[in-house]
Amino acid sequence: MIDMIGKRKYMFILSAALILIGVLFLLINGGFNWDIQFEGGTIIKIEMYDDSYEAVTVESDIENLIGKNVTVQKEKTFNPDDQSNSIALLSLKVAKDNTLTSEEINAVVDFLTLEYNVKAGTQPQIKSVEPFIGVELRNKALMAAGWAMLLIVIYVGIRFRVMSGVSAALFGIVALVHDALIMLSVYTVFNIPVNEVFVAAILTIIGYSMNDTIVIYDRIRENSALMHKADLETMVNTSVVQSLPRTINTLVTTLLTITTLFVFATIFNVESIRQFAFPLIIGLTSGSYSSIFIATPLWMVWRKYRIKKKILDAKV
Amino acid sequence: MANKPRRNPKMDYSSVSKKEPKLKPGAKLWIRFSVAVLLVAFFVVMILTGAPGLGVAKVSEVKTGIDIRGGVSATLYPDVDDINEVTDDQLRIIKGILEQRIEAQGTFDYNMSPDYENKRLLLEIPYSGGGSTNPQKVIDDLGEMALLTFREVDPEQYVINEVTGAFEYLPTDMIAVEGYDIESAEAVYIENKPTIALTFTEEGAQKFSDVTKRLYPTKSPLAIYLDDQFISAPNVEGWINSGEAIIRGSFTVDEAIDIANKLQYGALPFAMAAKEINSITPTLGESALSVTLNAAIVALILVILFMLFRYRLPGVVASLGLIGLVASIIFWISAFNASITLPGIAGIILTIGMGVDANVIIYERIKEEIRRGIGLQEAIDIGFKRAFSTILDANVTTLITGGALYIVGSGPIKGFALTLIIGIIMSFFTALVVVKWLLKALASLKVFKSKWFYGVKKEVAK
Repeated sequence: MIDMIGKRKYMFILSAALILIGVLFLLINGGFNWDIQFEGGTIIKIEMYDDSYEAVTVESDIENLIGKNVTVQKEKTFNPDDQSNSIALLSLKVAKDNTLTSEEINAVVDFLTLEYNVKAGTQPQIKSVEPFIGVELRNKALMAAGWAMLLIVIYVGIRFRVMSGVSAALFGIVALVHDALIMLSVYTVFNIPVNEVFVAAILTIIGYSMNDTIVIYDRIRENSALMHKADLETMVNTSVVQSLPRTINTLVTTLLTITTLFVFATIFNVESIRQFAFPLIIGLTSGSYSSIFIATPLWMVWRKYRIKKKILDAKV
Repeated sequence: MANKPRRNPKMDYSSVSKKEPKLKPGAKLWIRFSVAVLLVAFFVVMILTGAPGLGVAKVSEVKTGIDIRGGVSATLYPDVDDINEVTDDQLRIIKGILEQRIEAQGTFDYNMSPDYENKRLLLEIPYSGGGSTNPQKVIDDLGEMALLTFREVDPEQYVINEVTGAFEYLPTDMIAVEGYDIESAEAVYIENKPTIALTFTEEGAQKFSDVTKRLYPTKSPLAIYLDDQFISAPNVEGWINSGEAIIRGSFTVDEAIDIANKLQYGALPFAMAAKEINSITPTLGESALSVTLNAAIVALILVILFMLFRYRLPGVVASLGLIGLVASIIFWISAFNASITLPGIAGIILTIGMGVDANVIIYERIKEEIRRGIGLQEAIDIGFKRAFSTILDANVTTLITGGALYIVGSGPIKGFALTLIIGIIMSFFTALVVVKWLLKALASLKVFKSKWFYGVKKEVAK
């Protein structure tokens, strides 16, 4: 039988290293790259006939108009009506301290429509959030993640009393935190904006990862009755190996679907979907990995320590 | 009790015992098999044809969120110093007024929900196509129609509107009557001319009487503003103390209706400002929709191929269950009158991957049992039984996160959470009922006795 948990130290080191890289980048970047949704700010995207305008000129024009600093970028996206030509977009971003009011937004849109090559009859895409709402949304999202974790600890704690439930649940949570940290690391390294989509992805991964861990725990629960003569490490390893086909097959089907989505979104330039699929791919992989190499061995190490302590206490 | 006629046992037809014909064990299997097939067929047919009686739309006509069809979502906040002083009642009144205002502009497809806890209104207006209405402008007009005032003005202080050529008096501080002093305002025809008829509240009538008494000798104008925006400046032709007045002028029917609406619904306790605006163009939504739909179809095919390759006969059954699962998610979204959003479709795609998990757990278990040398039917039974607690625990945890997401998420993310929740519940049901019934019946057939069909090394099972 393959030894899945013997090399646990290396796996702990690998995870710690990945998270450390994330922390390093966090320090370099000076914090997370919060999306305007969680921080405040304005983004306006307008369809253009072509990209024959100068972004810098637009920037200075708008600054003259409303007296606020803006950043203008050229973007492209997939055109469902004419697949050979992508849609040219003018993307205008305003930082949180300068969040535009509804009137300013309309002034900007009207100005661009008048002065630049804006496609007739199209609607601009606008996202504008006042900073205080952004902070509120961010806190709400963090609260949701916190509550979800707490409820999971309680549920798993109740269901896995045989495995001394609460500790099993807590190590499951350690694995979840691990997955979230890995996802955050990837986000900081690639400097991807953190927004609601990201929180949805993290919560999905929390569910998936716990799901994965539970399948292994479930096997341990079953085997602890069947294999009470075997030593702990053998029993735990057997359980991991027995549930391995399931872990791998489910990972394969889930990755298959999300990777398809990611590939489509990348080819056709659908940024919002790409932003959703990417963290899921990272999280799913991390979720399966952490169930096998983080949650289970950690629980086992703790259990071993408890048994040892019990024996020592008995001797004294 | 006394009135209840006593039944004569001799007259009871059912007491003539006739042994129920015992179903052959095989028959039960095939009845269940048929039910399972019908269930899958039901969901697939439902979403293909739609069932207006059940409130279920065809898949191509299921309501889509504004992230797909385009539109505006905005969060409107009271423009006051202390937000805690805003009462639920005030918010309710504002909601009603704003709804009337939106509808007065010919927009009926919208959704406004008050958030009493945070003292704000969430407004969603989908883009209706044809370019007739611009949702972003609708929200702007809501803001424009903030505070209605009748003010005395200095006839010498005016500007000429470049577009209309009309004289517009500059706003002063001399506010005579305010919006909430007006009981009703409507556009009527008087002497064949569009006219606005006003009725004041008791307090308003008094104020109006005072100001008209002062102004009528000079026939001075009493100008109407929304915030500082000039609307109209009728001259006071007489002392009006009846609490009722008309505004005559050279306006068109539409203009009269527009001004009447502003007078009628202009009375907000305080102004509301859009502090969060999210406007999505239909083009971008459509482009994202077509990409995600194609991705969903490819993902479904890939997973089906994987399941067929990996699990053979049970794989076929799982694929059928998967098609039923996807159809049922769309069915329930439609039945709950929810919208399909882009994250929602992403949720369906994710469910395609995770939905087979229950099957994978069961099938791996069945394989293990077959390898142990147990009979096929028994292996299947044990497989389902053993897998049950695992599937239950795993699903409950995912359900918890889905629920948390549904509670805190905004529009599109709620859509994702909803598909995730429906997907989990339906995949649980699909795996433990539909797939089980299908598989057990098929496994009873002689043709499918070989272990090969279950992904175990070729060898005839007992």
